[in-house]
Amino acid sequence: MSNKLKLNLGPQHPSTHGVLRLILEVEGEKITSCEPDVGYLHRGMEKMAEKLSYIQYLPLVDRIDYLGAFSYSELLCRNIEKALNTELFPRVKAIRVLMLELNRIASHLLWIGSFLMDLGAVSPFFYAFREREIILEYFEKVTGQRMMNNYFIFGGVRRDIFALADVERFLKILPDKLNDYENIITQNPIFLQRTKGKGILDKETALNGSITGVNLRACGVKYDLRTSDYLYKDYEFTPVVLDGKDAWTRYKARILEIKESAKLIAQAIEKINQNPKFEQDLINPINLILPEGEYYSEIEAPRGLASCYIKSEGGKNPYRLKWRTGSYYSVNLLRRLLVGEYLNDAIAIAGSLDIVLPEVDK
Amino acid sequence: MFKNIKYTLIGLLTVFKHLFKKPVTLEYPEKKKFSGENFRGKPIVKNCLKCGTCIRVCPTGAIKIHENKFIIDLKKCIFCGNCSYYCSQNAIIMSSNYELATNSIDDLKLVYDIDKNEEREEEN
Repeated sequence: MSNKLKLNLGPQHPSTHGVLRLILEVEGEKITSCEPDVGYLHRGMEKMAEKLSYIQYLPLVDRIDYLGAFSYSELLCRNIEKALNTELFPRVKAIRVLMLELNRIASHLLWIGSFLMDLGAVSPFFYAFREREIILEYFEKVTGQRMMNNYFIFGGVRRDIFALADVERFLKILPDKLNDYENIITQNPIFLQRTKGKGILDKETALNGSITGVNLRACGVKYDLRTSDYLYKDYEFTPVVLDGKDAWTRYKARILEIKESAKLIAQAIEKINQNPKFEQDLINPINLILPEGEYYSEIEAPRGLASCYIKSEGGKNPYRLKWRTGSYYSVNLLRRLLVGEYLNDAIAIAGSLDIVLPEVDK
Repeated sequence: MFKNIKYTLIGLLTVFKHLFKKPVTLEYPEKKKFSGENFRGKPIVKNCLKCGTCIRVCPTGAIKIHENKFIIDLKKCIFCGNCSYYCSQNAIIMSSNYELATNSIDDLKLVYDIDKNEEREEEN
């Protein structure tokens, strides 16, 4: 007789950040196998594109990853700009970088808050949300909404940027706040015990599992798409590469990445001020027809490499549209990471990968 | 061991520091935040020419034009602002009103009379 017990984690577990169901098999306190069950949040994002025109589809794209919405609308816009050979003006480029990086900071801050909440620490959650609120309020002021911004359009942005002083003020207070987080969290003995050496992800597993983003860089692989991205061409920054492999390193890498993003934002503001004239070459989206062919573009989203593939047959809608999202591969990784770990650590390990379920289920 | 005590104390002091700060939250029903002029709230229609551009850019099919009635179904509307942005007459304005909860489902159907050019909120 085997002592194995089948255990369901989710789909309504608060620490899965959405509806993820993990079917665990435990022997005593040890996990012997894990099977992620995804698809509870499937909305048919790819099929929807085949029925809607490109401009109708654009607002829906933000909902693929509600925490990193700008990355995805940038991808769709970039594909269409590529197809129609439209060049962006320098000011518009800088605005896009500014928004993408602010979005990345907001996303990482939310992750820090919710990850610590999963581990039982409540204060960092409120601190992280307080700082994130500043960014969201700025988004609300400029784009009109806090989360589903719908700000990028084909060939440019919806309106000129303003109130840059708000961002500068935020950049000024950010190092102080990050210091606070590090004081509370980084060397806290309880946090160390729960994350140090837990969820070891080595280079080979990560590369074989198509892991990208912070999770990959935290196991020692220097792979940051921003180094070769055309939007970030004139920007100076160093990709965060740490070689710790465990959950604690992934936390540390995200803190460092926020600092790098802050540097990029400062440079973007400089570039916006250097190009004071707001001009853009907009594509008329009504009756927009993409020439026949295949288009592909990729970007470093907050949760890893994201890409969009469009196959057009010369109609108003794409023949096929495919999204590649970072979280999907992270969920698959749980199959390997959780085996052999204790049940108590399952939440810490799953949380450290920064999974957002709408991005997985699409 | 000594290191653990040290970092726990540092953490506690940092949290303690926050005790003396002002609250960052608002007492919502009494105090309200102004969301900026660009906020995408309840759509308001005036001076429409019935060109139908808004219908073609709406992702959810929330807009209908029947003779001289302009109907927006708020149950379907996702407040993306496409209709307002692509309207050549600036006829659709996204107002800053975000308190749209009602007791009756019929209130969620906004009916505007195009000929009269003024707002009418009664059911169709």
